[in-house]
Amino acid sequence: MEIIDNLALGFSIALSPYTLMLAVIGCFLGTIIGALPGLGPSNGVAILIPLTFTLGLDATSALVLMTSVYYGAMYGGRISSILLNIPGDEPALMTTLDGYPMAKAGRGGDALVLSGVASFVGAFLATIGLMLLAPMLARVAYLFGPAEYFALYMLAFCTLGGMASNNQAKAAIASCIGLGIAMIGVDNSSGLPRLTGGNLHLMDGVDFLVAIVGLFAISEVFFFIESHGKGSSIGIKLEKVTIPWKDIYETKWTMLRASGIGFIAGILPGAGASLGSFLAYMSEKSIAGEKGGFGTGVPKGVAAPEAGNNAAAGGALVPMLTLGVPGSGTTAVLLALLMTLNITPGPTLFTDRPEVVWGLIASLLIANVVLLLMNVPMVKIFVRILQVPAWILLPGVTMVSFVGIYSLSGSYFDLVLMVGFGALGYVLRKLDIPTVPVILGILLGGHMEDALRRAMVLSDGDVAYLVSSPIAIVLWVAAILGFVAPMMLRKFLEKPQRVTD
Amino acid sequence: MTHHFFKAFVMGAVLTISAPTSVIAAECIAPANPGGGWDFTCRQIGKIMYEIGAVDKPIQVTNMAGGGGGLAYGHVVNERDTDADLIVAASSATSTRLAQNAYAGMTADQVRFVGAIGADPGVIVVAADSPFKTLGDMVDAIKANPGSVAFAGGSAVGGFDHLKPLMILQRGGFTDITKVKYIGLDGGADAITQTVGGFTQVMTGDMSEIVGFLKAGEIRVLAVLTDERVPGFEKIPTAKEQGFDVVAVNWRGLYVPKGVSDDTFNEWASKLQQVADSDAWKEAMVANGLAPFTKVGGDFQSYVDGLVTEIRQLSKDIGVIQ
Amino acid sequence: MPSDRIFGLVALMTALAFIASATQIQTSFLSDPVGPKMFPILIGVVAVIGSLSLILRPDPNPDWPAMRSFMALLVAVVVLIGYAFALKPFGFLIPTAITAGILSYQISPKINAAMMSGLGLSVGLFGLFKFALGLGLVAFPRFLTG
Repeated sequence: MEIIDNLALGFSIALSPYTLMLAVIGCFLGTIIGALPGLGPSNGVAILIPLTFTLGLDATSALVLMTSVYYGAMYGGRISSILLNIPGDEPALMTTLDGYPMAKAGRGGDALVLSGVASFVGAFLATIGLMLLAPMLARVAYLFGPAEYFALYMLAFCTLGGMASNNQAKAAIASCIGLGIAMIGVDNSSGLPRLTGGNLHLMDGVDFLVAIVGLFAISEVFFFIESHGKGSSIGIKLEKVTIPWKDIYETKWTMLRASGIGFIAGILPGAGASLGSFLAYMSEKSIAGEKGGFGTGVPKGVAAPEAGNNAAAGGALVPMLTLGVPGSGTTAVLLALLMTLNITPGPTLFTDRPEVVWGLIASLLIANVVLLLMNVPMVKIFVRILQVPAWILLPGVTMVSFVGIYSLSGSYFDLVLMVGFGALGYVLRKLDIPTVPVILGILLGGHMEDALRRAMVLSDGDVAYLVSSPIAIVLWVAAILGFVAPMMLRKFLEKPQRVTD
Repeated sequence: MTHHFFKAFVMGAVLTISAPTSVIAAECIAPANPGGGWDFTCRQIGKIMYEIGAVDKPIQVTNMAGGGGGLAYGHVVNERDTDADLIVAASSATSTRLAQNAYAGMTADQVRFVGAIGADPGVIVVAADSPFKTLGDMVDAIKANPGSVAFAGGSAVGGFDHLKPLMILQRGGFTDITKVKYIGLDGGADAITQTVGGFTQVMTGDMSEIVGFLKAGEIRVLAVLTDERVPGFEKIPTAKEQGFDVVAVNWRGLYVPKGVSDDTFNEWASKLQQVADSDAWKEAMVANGLAPFTKVGGDFQSYVDGLVTEIRQLSKDIGVIQ
Repeated sequence: MPSDRIFGLVALMTALAFIASATQIQTSFLSDPVGPKMFPILIGVVAVIGSLSLILRPDPNPDWPAMRSFMALLVAVVVLIGYAFALKPFGFLIPTAITAGILSYQISPKINAAMMSGLGLSVGLFGLFKFALGLGLVAFPRFLTG
């Protein structure tokens, strides 16, 4: 069978002692990053990308390391949710609702182990889903011409923008900031510089890594300075940790359902892990009804969002790998990694670079097992790391960001630009303007323009060509719906916090 | 800790890893990041030269990405003009960009082209169900209605992939070449996908880019742009035998600084010839989809000069340059 | 005035400036039907519409920090920019210790702890980057080491 062969190829790459070591390191770092308040998966991956690049890792190794960090951060997010009532990242927000009450009731250990198992189930099923679904999606490559790609990019902006903010105008402005930045530099077609203001540093455009690290990591430092590091309080003491077999058995259907919902939520461009955990929690809550006691510290309330957000994290990889359109902030960062490594995700990735795709899938499976093994017995170690105070952590993050960016280009210009993006990120986040569309714009702006210009070459400038195929029409309709519908549904989907996953 | 120690670790050392060279080890500059064609050229040629004893120390490879090779070109012209221990990887892209003035006004006569030892043959490809059976069918269709045929290629507008079909059309007597539709995609695989999907009618690219699709039976190769049929692909006719005298290959070779002596130039040329004759290189070519294409020394210099002149004229005709 | 409205005005000005400079983009001989100006102008137009809508219908104000915190943020930005310029001429250790110390103090105003974390981070990260990860960092300014 084809899938088995492919998987064998993947494991032959991912199971070398070296990549296995990278997976373990990535999982460990990822769990810490996910657990620390203020450092979500996207920040974590963003800070580490420049370092991976300077270390000279080859494409597969870099991918293995970064996806382990990604999955690890999704696991780690639950630790501070449960023990401190502070979500380490936004997808872990729903876990606080029942996790913290469980911990207060003296069942912190049970909640941690149960959520670890739920994370494993969610992530594992999603990886299987990715394995089955991605090659099927890759075959639709032949149906996508320039017009369809343009519509697809439109869909990504509309849905991500629509979901990420409570105000569509703000999402639109954020997208425009990113797209506008992407226009800076030498024009692909004519070879002439655009909008550089004659600055030589800008000839090659703005490096998206500089923007990502600035917007995510540096702006976080400003937030901590503003709040003087409040919120890094000491939480609940953790006594001995045992495996709550009974809870795990009783929540098995919850985990399966939540994984399914999370996976589908993850595939939708723009929805991401936060929506996955939200929907999973809400649907389980309504299934259980009033008697379920959701919100008072029930095991199902811990298992559902954790299975949901980890499944969504896997689902989000599907559109990113097959179409080159990221489904969430973190996959946007992973897309940046691939592009740095000279790999263009998209339909042809599966035929051109099977070793990358299947190596990645195999390493995700490995990372999952490693994470489960790591997270159950070693949970106490992670809890200890949680107690690193903000006044050491945040300066440390800043320094790592500086060294990472500096080692890429060796230019002070990029560092100043990064600080500028940090300040921009602070202002945007203060005003509840999402930063993820900015990143998406910088990443996809060039592709989007290329698609438009190619389409116009083929059609001799006839704009109707953009909506001339059924696929293009469906994508446009979905894009408009994705942008408009959240306005109607806002009452029900009110976001308590910014989306940063 | 000494002065020297710190000097060796100047920050931003990404480019300057070339180490304090007091020993005479030759250096090969790959004007791109690791992993691309130029990097391959430097690493393979460097390795084989050492293995067959053409050089007595391993050749050191330096990556100097930027400006599509322009950064390295400027570095060689301005700072290393007499360095006898320097070779630089080059390909058709180098000559195309020089012809189109894409290296900030630097010209092809500011360095010496030593030789090419292998080439990726240009190909003209259609989907398996295309009505075009020969190159002639395609040219006739364009003559009848230039807008009915769109080309897809892996290089930007005005790049080598774009120029290939234009050269064929010119030989076929079609002169209104600005009417020809071309879209540049991110690599040959994308270009094939667009062509098989029916969004464009013809793909123009290199042999190495199409091998997988050819095996899968999804495409038909109208012509290969070499003097003779390519070993291993004997069924594919050349453009020449179909009456279109176009040879367009993506050659892989080297240049050296302008200021070196004729002896040095000839020495590098003969070392390159030795590599071309080695078994190791023949294996490397097969593994990377390259066809034999050996031109060294003065021969190669005049080939490059001719190529630059032709591409410059063609680029003027289509309006890529003034 | 709601801060959304101020931001909207700033965004509007930027978008108009962006459109203005986009119309100045050089076009080459060989131009496709769209050309290099069209897409940037489109982006500018969408941004103008977005900013106008923000000016007309602003959201409620966020909690802006008090003036003192604001000054602290300004100091942080200046310090970070200074750090960016200092990294090359002054080596890694000294600028890092100072910058990390200041940031640490700004997050939690305890002078001893800040000094400790500045020194610790500087030396610790240098060791990590230099010896574990093999990055080419310079420890001290070149004029000190000759």
